[in-house]
Amino acid sequence: MGISKIWVYGEATEAGATAGTLELLTKARSLADTVEVVMAGDAAAVAAELGAHGATTVHTVGDLAGSLPGTRVASAIAAAVAAGTGPDVLLATTSYDGRDVAGRLSAKVDRPVLTNVVDLVADGDRLLGSEPVFGGTTDVLTGFTDGGLAIFLVRPKSFAAEESGGGPAAVAELAAGDLGNTGTAVVKDRFVEESTGPKLDEAAVVVSGGRGLGEADKYEMIETLAKLVKGAPGASRAVVDAGWVPYSYQVGQTGKVVKPTVYLACGISGATQHLVGMKGSANIVAINKDEEAPIFGVADLGIVGDVHKVLPKLIEALQARG
Amino acid sequence: MRILVCVKRVPAPGARINVTADGQAVDAAHLGFTTSPHEECALEEAVQITERLGGEVTVMTLGPAAAEEQLRYAASVGAHRFVLVPITEVDWDPQRTAAALADAIGDLEAADGPFDLVLFGNESADAGGFQVGVRVAHALGRPIVNGIKGIDVGGDPEAQSSETGDVPEGQVAARREIDGGFEVYRVPMPAVLGVKEGINLPRYPTMKGRLASKKAEVAVDERTAEAGGQGRVRLHRPEEQVSETVILGTGPEAAPAVVDLLEELGVFQ
Repeated sequence: MGISKIWVYGEATEAGATAGTLELLTKARSLADTVEVVMAGDAAAVAAELGAHGATTVHTVGDLAGSLPGTRVASAIAAAVAAGTGPDVLLATTSYDGRDVAGRLSAKVDRPVLTNVVDLVADGDRLLGSEPVFGGTTDVLTGFTDGGLAIFLVRPKSFAAEESGGGPAAVAELAAGDLGNTGTAVVKDRFVEESTGPKLDEAAVVVSGGRGLGEADKYEMIETLAKLVKGAPGASRAVVDAGWVPYSYQVGQTGKVVKPTVYLACGISGATQHLVGMKGSANIVAINKDEEAPIFGVADLGIVGDVHKVLPKLIEALQARG
Repeated sequence: MRILVCVKRVPAPGARINVTADGQAVDAAHLGFTTSPHEECALEEAVQITERLGGEVTVMTLGPAAAEEQLRYAASVGAHRFVLVPITEVDWDPQRTAAALADAIGDLEAADGPFDLVLFGNESADAGGFQVGVRVAHALGRPIVNGIKGIDVGGDPEAQSSETGDVPEGQVAARREIDGGFEVYRVPMPAVLGVKEGINLPRYPTMKGRLASKKAEVAVDERTAEAGGQGRVRLHRPEEQVSETVILGTGPEAAPAVVDLLEELGVFQ
């Protein structure tokens, strides 16, 4: 027998379900007989999209009324599990809200969470998660040692989203259950930062700068390049630590994980911390004056040269193109 | 203000991690250790808050005896009290860690009164489980918000109130990073917050701080807790990812080749 029921924690924006949600649904339908979504907010708005990716039912806890998603969604899942109507497996994306849901659910039902998962493997009637450890040098395959709810936090872009051709999912209300004292934090304001170009973790091209740029002013070349190729600017941890750019630019283990079509690494030596965040990119181009730099170990194409000389030339060539 | 910061000793992020010959563990022979970066920021935040409002910062770590180094570092940047919950294994799973920490925190509070704030790093730099903070909060029955990039304590004259409005006494406003912006939460204290790197730039220890840290008293608080229910099935070493790098050229004359490549990949469409 296999796994009978998987719930995917569904996240949506005004533009529809998030890519992570659809990726998890796609993978889930190859693993379980029944795939459903649990979410907060307006489920009807995304029922068609979720259905098209394999969900038969969307359970919603309704409006969050200013609380963190984790408090209500986790408490609702815990109540469903206690009532025997819950899933065998809960999958959530490693997003801000996904972590909140998985963490609180784990505490509520007193079950562990497998985090940083990049692959899911069926093993009889249980599911195993594969996570990179030791700086990405080793994969560890982990399972739950006893029966009961298995919770997985899966990194975005671990799977490709594909439509199943299914019809719209049915929408069902799910009671939030007892929230307790842990849910007394309420949202007061929301701010959206102005951003002009594409987002770092969604851009088709990422241009990143590292310590090799030498000084803060030189980072402007990275911004200019990013604009010319309609990409997003990124940075290594060294540059963020030095205060040249905000933390939101950071690519790497403690920053963002990106998988663009083209990753252009400029003056980045390629510390493991950085490589973990970008080595999944389809095409990696490195510009570094040190041909022994570890970045050339993952790069597909490289220019051995000083970024101060190569980048102005590259900017010029791109501008000349019109 | 009484603030507790929980920190973890982790391999220095960015270090090349070598694995032992049997592939089962990290070879720590040439590895530097540090305080997990998110927690270093949590510590800095706690010290800054008590510098403005008065009070005391207690730092707790669960880890090997060597984690005393991280507590002394905390002393060198301004924390006041230090508790080591020693373990002999390499690491404890999140459930076990959280249970031991919650017990240790409970006893500290029974003796000296509750902590207004308990700060964690958003996630540790090595295991990245995102679990311990939320579990401790549940065990203590307190609210928790994670992903925090700004903290304004009620009554703090330097609170960045323009974004959060005046925060009443006994409450804390916490800026939580979300996709493409942030949210501000109001949380009644005592509360638990998971802090993210970027909230501040942690200070470097002064020479005076370093000297004082040598004399700091570290309390050792042994705890036992049950292991959680997850088990390793096997380790697997993927083929080392070595790509053949095609060198387009050296120096500026290679720049046009990059433009051609971008064109070929359809970047400009």
